[in-house]
This record gives sequence, structure tokens and C-alpha cells, in this order.
Amino acid sequence: MSAVWRASRAAVRRRRLQTSVIGLVVLFSTATIVVALRLLDASSAPFERVFAEQAGPHVVAVYEPGSAPAGAAGAAGAAVSAGPFEQARLTAPPDVDPVYLAGPVTVVGRADPAGPVDRVDLWQGRWATAPGEVVVADQPPPPGFRGRTELGTVIHLRDAPPLTVVGFAYSVGQTADLWVAPAQMAALHPTAVQMLYRLPGDPGEQAVTTFTAGLPRAGLLAATDYLVIKEAVAAGPGAYVPFLVVFGLLGLLVAVLVVANVVTGAVVSGYRHIGVLKAIGFTPAQVVGVYLTMVSVPALVGGVLGAAAGEFASRPLLTSAFMGLGFSGDVGDGLGTGLAALTGILVVVLLAALLPALRARSLAAAEAISAGSAPRSGRGLRAQRWLSGVRLPRAVSLGLGLPFARPARTALTVAAVVLGVTTVTFASGLTTSVSLFSDIADRNDDAPVAVRPLNPAFQQGVTTRTDEEIERLLRSLPGTRHVTAELGADFAVAGQTQPIPVDFLRGDRDEMGFQAGLVEGRWLRAPGEAVVPSRLQHERGIKVGDRLTLELDGHRAELTVVGESINGGPGTPALLTSWETLQRIAPDRAIANHEVLYEVSLTPGTTIQSYLASVRAADPGLNAWDNSGVNPFTVAMISLSTALSLMLGTVAALSVFNTVVLNVRERRRDLGMLKSIGMTPRQVVVMTVTSMAALGLAGGLIGVPAGVVAHRVVLPMTSAAAKVDLPTAMLHVWHPTTLLLLTCAGILIAVLGALIPARAAARLTIAEVLHTE
Amino acid sequence: MSGSDARVVVRLDGVRKEYGDTTALDGVSLEIRAGEAVAVMGPSGCGKSTLLNMIAGLDRPTAGTVVVHDEDLARLNEKGRALFRRKRIGMIFQFFNLLDDLPALENVALAAQLTGVSAGQARRRALELLDELGIADRRNAYPSVLSGGERQRVAVARALMNRPALLLADEPTGALDSHAGEQVMDLLLDLNQIGQTLLLVTHDERMAQRCANRVVSLADGRVAGSRSLADGSLGRAW
Repeated sequence: MSAVWRASRAAVRRRRLQTSVIGLVVLFSTATIVVALRLLDASSAPFERVFAEQAGPHVVAVYEPGSAPAGAAGAAGAAVSAGPFEQARLTAPPDVDPVYLAGPVTVVGRADPAGPVDRVDLWQGRWATAPGEVVVADQPPPPGFRGRTELGTVIHLRDAPPLTVVGFAYSVGQTADLWVAPAQMAALHPTAVQMLYRLPGDPGEQAVTTFTAGLPRAGLLAATDYLVIKEAVAAGPGAYVPFLVVFGLLGLLVAVLVVANVVTGAVVSGYRHIGVLKAIGFTPAQVVGVYLTMVSVPALVGGVLGAAAGEFASRPLLTSAFMGLGFSGDVGDGLGTGLAALTGILVVVLLAALLPALRARSLAAAEAISAGSAPRSGRGLRAQRWLSGVRLPRAVSLGLGLPFARPARTALTVAAVVLGVTTVTFASGLTTSVSLFSDIADRNDDAPVAVRPLNPAFQQGVTTRTDEEIERLLRSLPGTRHVTAELGADFAVAGQTQPIPVDFLRGDRDEMGFQAGLVEGRWLRAPGEAVVPSRLQHERGIKVGDRLTLELDGHRAELTVVGESINGGPGTPALLTSWETLQRIAPDRAIANHEVLYEVSLTPGTTIQSYLASVRAADPGLNAWDNSGVNPFTVAMISLSTALSLMLGTVAALSVFNTVVLNVRERRRDLGMLKSIGMTPRQVVVMTVTSMAALGLAGGLIGVPAGVVAHRVVLPMTSAAAKVDLPTAMLHVWHPTTLLLLTCAGILIAVLGALIPARAAARLTIAEVLHTE
Repeated sequence: MSGSDARVVVRLDGVRKEYGDTTALDGVSLEIRAGEAVAVMGPSGCGKSTLLNMIAGLDRPTAGTVVVHDEDLARLNEKGRALFRRKRIGMIFQFFNLLDDLPALENVALAAQLTGVSAGQARRRALELLDELGIADRRNAYPSVLSGGERQRVAVARALMNRPALLLADEPTGALDSHAGEQVMDLLLDLNQIGQTLLLVTHDERMAQRCANRVVSLADGRVAGSRSLADGSLGRAW
């Protein structure tokens, strides 16, 4: 056994606390780094990752039946193809279950979910193998949430036999809304066949355009490429990726900084030991070797355990977050990430140890032996002197002066606390903004109840009331505060090639929370005015001040866009306008009462469940439901930000813990002396905790503004990526009380980190300390 | 200064202290009366410092009782012992144990400030003491620039700050050159002559002869002998 190893082993054994702290800090830091890296990895290209895993189609070509080219050979440039699959375009009525299918649906006949292209993720139930069975395209719900409908539900499409749901599947390529067995298709009257193509490598816009242009034209009805879907995903929930990236980067930064702080401190506090080693004949290189080995042993153990813990923690966390974001729950394998994190952290540890060890290498033995115990001068002495005269209990003023004795270590600790507080601040701002966004966009509090009459075509016990009678009934029920009737329909607009969805609003539309979502202009005041949702504004170029002409069967209605809002009514974002506009453009339109959706706000004290019961009791033909649920995305973001904040807060607290341990070790003699002249254990605790609380306060005072700035920068970035303009209320989430509490978070982190070593300091055996020199 | 009718300040009765398998003190019984200057002597490892720690309440005996100023130290908790030291005990160490971050005046004042005395009052009292000990002009100097003798004087001033009933000195001249050692010995002698009860731990026979009026010898953790020095101390060297 070499002398270096023997000395290292002895040092590890002798400094059990220090070794444990290094191991623990590296463990938590590595775990945080693994979660952060996995987050960055998964966030960097979530669409591309899932698209590659499912072998998503780069191009979907739709041909007339019987005219699709056979296989990849039929399309020049395709690497692989699947199909032809028969396709039918059918219509689902407004009250179809699941309700999101309402409108035109694409039904595709496929024998199985596998294949060379579009390997559909069948996440519940089984594939449709017989007529009468259907698989519904939907994303798996996040853990703890139920799907939007259940197996066994019967779907009634117009001009089609009833179909029973036997499974749920997710296709990132969005190739169908419903899949049935090929044998079923004849009864659905297919109008086209679908060919799915994958191109070599990662094709860009040019390659996709060239390929599409080269498709056989005979019988080609349409060809869509994956870039359209990718763009839609990027503008949708995927826009929250910048939040995740910021969290990931913060995690990396805090972890690296804390490890550097702890390891550097460990080596610096061992200078005396280094001097002794030199005195007994260790060469400078051997001394460096001892110290590198000494910190590497706990770092390696902590790193391995941390990588495993990080992988263990990140999997459910990321699964939940990405399912909430609308991607599949498969977050991939983290083995590579774990190894990268482990390697990285060990490099950081060795570098952090190497720098002070090299300095110790050049110190003369006598100089090294006296380091830490020899009288110092000039370090924070002025601060100590000033504090001694301040009207504070002496234990407090002594504590306040301690950080000035080791400015470099103090700076590193403050930096760790700053990053911890920045993260906590950013996370709390983000959580508030996301909740606010959810509240405004979903109008959870403003319209907690939705009511729609059952469809007489498919349901038993429909209502006999007319639209107006239903509204009157709802207004008469106890607990009703406001009622708005909404009717949605697509309309042609002069100058636009695609129809535009429009929501016509009646009743108490001014009281239903739409105005909170305004980002520009104003809310509806008169007939002929419209408010455009941000998404529609970006996608269709409709701006505040524009005049639109809606067209239907020869009737026209002029609309002036007077405002832009982040919400666009229930379902697909739609132009919001008054009911009078509908009467102007379609005066003869017969409105079936089940086409109208009623939103109800409740008087204070009325519970949603009791109100729903009273609606059902008043008219069993009315379907009323709780419309106030927090969406899974909000829950996922909040849980993710909370978990990361806790992890980073723990790492920051460990850094403080380490600093106090080192300070206590260094100041053993001073503490012993103070106790010998009558300092009580409580005063020792107060002094030690005060020294760290001061750092915590400094960290809070810097970290809180930094977190607010990060929030101010990242949120607009996110909205720009999502093509959604944010109401200013979403940026102004900070209240003085919140900021004060967040500043206290810095103190809390520091105090928690300091408490254990402070109590150990209070229990220090004076006699032992004072007589050892 | 002492007499058989003087009040007993320290009473040790059958004090035993064990550290694992090692017995540092083995049934030590001892009395120190007010105004006495007692030197505890003996070879290294005989239990001198352990005895001093027991009296200062820095350590607890394994068996036996230690009563100082009518206070049974075994009955006091950690806080109680800290308050006891604050009020009753002044300590001087071989290596001074001054806070490097504070100038001389603040080191001395600190002892009073811990008891809640205001900074101004504490400084005034500290300055008086430094003046009495002849180092008032060094009040703003930090320990790192003070000589060994000066540091020990500052330590003595700090020990006297709260007017202790008992001054404990553990090898007070052990880290000093002979000249500085002489100065500290004179200082202790002067203090005893004005009534300060003193317990010295030393292995320096000359110092014992000079400063103490009774010598207690320890060997293997036991009291091996106790002798009074005729006519008290030998007096000043000059």
C-alpha cells in the first residue's frame, strides 16, 4: 500500500464529518445535475425525439383509392414507406363523447399500430381488430389524471355505424383521429388512401418540398409534411420548454458552484495537515496526491449514488412534465446522462481540489503548518471592530463579523445561496404566472360550470326547452350569478382562404372573465365588434383595427377587431363577437338548442357540485359539468418547479452547512476561549447561526432581484415562442409580501444549514480545544 | 493573605476523572481558601490541567464533587457552568487564546459584553485594566502585532474583567521568554497581594516559589503532597 493511499485513507477516516459532507454535497449535486441534464436533453428537441422514436412520417400523401404508388419505390427519395391505408372523412356531432372529436374526423383503417413508419404508441387497451371497434387518438394523461374518455364508450359518427372504443393510441405524426380494423372501412365509405413516407436522415424544408414535388401526381389529393405539425407543437405546449431550460441551467450552475466551494474549503482547511505531511518527508507531488485522493473517495461514492438517485427522481418528474406538455411519457434512457453527470462532477471535484492543493504544494512546511492557526491580520478587522461597538448582543455582533474573516469562502457561500434564492424566486414567479395563465385562459373562476343540452339524435331524455327557455331556467336557479350563451361555427372571411372559427356570445359576456385576457385594445361594446385570440392573430395575421367581412349563403356581416385576448372561447381559439352578428349574417339559421353552450358563474358560497345537482334536477335533459379543473400542464409545471426548487435549495443549504462546519473547525480555539470566559451554549449557537443568517440575507437581497429579472426575461421569451401575447398581469406577479418572504428564504436556507454545526460548536469540549496548540 | 479562618473558595472531594481507560485524576481532595495562591505542580500527564478544568467547570468529574464558591458544579448544566465561569472564574492560558480579529481593548471588553454590559462601559473598564497592567498604549493593537508578554497581559486583563473570585492560570509563562515570564509572574504576585485568589498550574518550580504560598504536588492523578511556603511567596525578584 503506497504512502499516499495510506495517508489519504487515514485522512478520510479522521475527518468523518468533512468526508460525509463532501459525499452528501456531491450526491445531491449529481442528482440535481442528472435531473437538469435530463431536463435539458428532453427539452432540447422533444418533438424530434418522439418523432424519431415513433418513426413519424415526414410526408403524408393522400391519394384517390386505387391510385397510390406501391411502397417506397413509388416515391423517389423516400427511405421507407407504409400504406396504403384506407381513409374516410366523417363528422362527429357536437355532443360526441369524447367531446374534442366534435367536427370533421379522419378515420384510418390499419391492421396494427406497428410498422416501418408511424409506430403508434398504443398506451391503453388493444388495437381494433374487428368491425365495430375503434382506437381513439389521444395523448396519455399525466400520472394521477384520468383520460378524457373511457374504454367501452360508443362513438356515434354521422353516416356511420356505432364504434366501441377498445384502445387509445398516440401518434406524434397525427395521421388519424380514429383507427379501425381494415375490415371496418367498407362500412365507412373511404374516400382516399393514405401513404406514409420517411425520408433519409433529418430532412429540412428543402428536402421535404423536393420530395413532395416529386410524388406521382396521378390521383394525389393532398400531401402534408411533418414541418407543419412541428410548427404547431412548437407554438403550443412545447413553448414551455424555455422554462425547463432555465431550470436545467440553474441546476447545473448551483451544483457545480457548491461542489467547488465544498472541495476547495476541505483542502484549504487541511493546510496544517499538509504541512505535517511535508515535514515527515512527503514530496509536494505526494501531498497533492493525498488531497486529491482524499476528496475523490467520498466524491466517487456520492457521485455514483447521486447519479442513481437523479435517474430515479427524474423519470417520474419528466414523464409527468412531458405528458402535461402534450408529448408522450417516454422520456428515454438516462444511462448516458448519468455517466456524463458522474464524469463531469468528478472533474469539477478534482479541479476544485487541485487549485488549492497546488498552492499548498508550493508552501513551505512551516508556513503550511501555521496556516489557519497563526495570527492573521487585515481580514475584516475593521468590520469586526466596528461591530464590537454596535448596540447588539455581543454574540450577534461577533457572528455578524465572522464572514469577514474568510472573504473568499464567504463569497462562494453567498453565491450558492444567491443561486438557491434565484431559483426559488424564479420558480415561484413561474408557478404564479402559469397558474394565472391557466386561470385567465381557462377562466376557471369566472365560468366554473358549463351546460349543454343533450343531443336528441343520440341521447335519451333530451330537454324540451328552447334555447331562450334554457337560459331563463339557468338564471332562475339558486346560486346563478351570470350566464353566457355561446355558439361556435366556422365562417368564410373575405380575403382569407381558410374559414375562421367564430364564437357568438350572448348574455352576461362582459362578466365572464374574457376581459382579463385582453392584451391589446378593449372588450366588445357594440354589435359589429370582435376580439381576436392571440393564436389566431399570429396564425392568420388578423390585427386589432382590422375590418373583416364574414360571409354565409350570400349574407355578409362587417366586423371590426377591437381587441386581442389570450383566450378565444371554449375549444379551438375563435374570434369572439356578439350574438347580434350571428343574427345579421344568418338571420334564418335554425339553432338547435344542443349547439349552444352555456357558461355559468356562481354566487359566493355556492359549490359547483350542488349547482350541478340542481341543474340536473331542474332538467335532466341538460348536461352540466364542472369546468373549473386545473389542467394537467399547470400541475406538471408546478410540480416540476417545486421539485427543482427543493433540490436546489437543499444543495444551497448543504453548502452553507459545509461553510459552517469548516468555520467551526477553524474557530475551535476561539469558541473554546469564548466558552471559557462565559459564553453560554445558546450564545454560541446565536453567534454561529447569525454569521450564516447574514450571508443568507445578503443572498436573499441579491437572489430575489435576480430571480425577478430571470422571470421578466424568460416569460416574454416563452410567449414569443408560443406566439401568444401575455397580459401584463402575468409579469406583475410580485407583491411586497412575497418578495419579503422570498428574501427570508435566503435566511432560512442559511439558518437551516448552520443549525447543526452551530449546535455542535455549542457542545465543543473546551478543555480539549484550549490545551491543544 | 490567606489564613485558616478564611473562607473556602474551592473544595474538591474525592474527584476522579477517567478518559476511557485512562485515569487522569484519582480521588483528589483539595481546599483553596480566599486569598490563597496555590500552585499545582507535577510531571506531564499527572492531571494538573484536568484538575484546573474541573475547577473551572470546563469538564465534569467522573466521580466526586467540585464545589466552587458554594456552587456544586456537578449540579449545573452547560449554561449554568457558563454563567458560573462568567461570574466567578478568570482564566489565563499558556497560549493566550485571544481572538485574532479583535484589538486588545475589544478582546478584554468582550468578557463583560457577554454579560450584557454596554460596549461603552465595557471599554472603559477594559481600558482601566490595560492601564493598570501597563499596556494601555497598545489597546488598539491586534494580537498578531503584540509581543508574547503583551498578549499574556491582555489575557490577564480579560480574565480580570468580570472581577472573578478565582483566577486560574494554566502554564501562564510557558510560551514566554524569560523576561516576559518575569513580568507575568510579577503581575500575578501583585494580584494575589491585593487579595485575588489564585490557582496556578505549572511545572516551573521557580514560578511556584515566586507566586504561590502553597504548592500541591500531583503524581499519577493523585495528590502526592501539599506544602506551605514559609512566609508566603519569595517576593519580588528585584
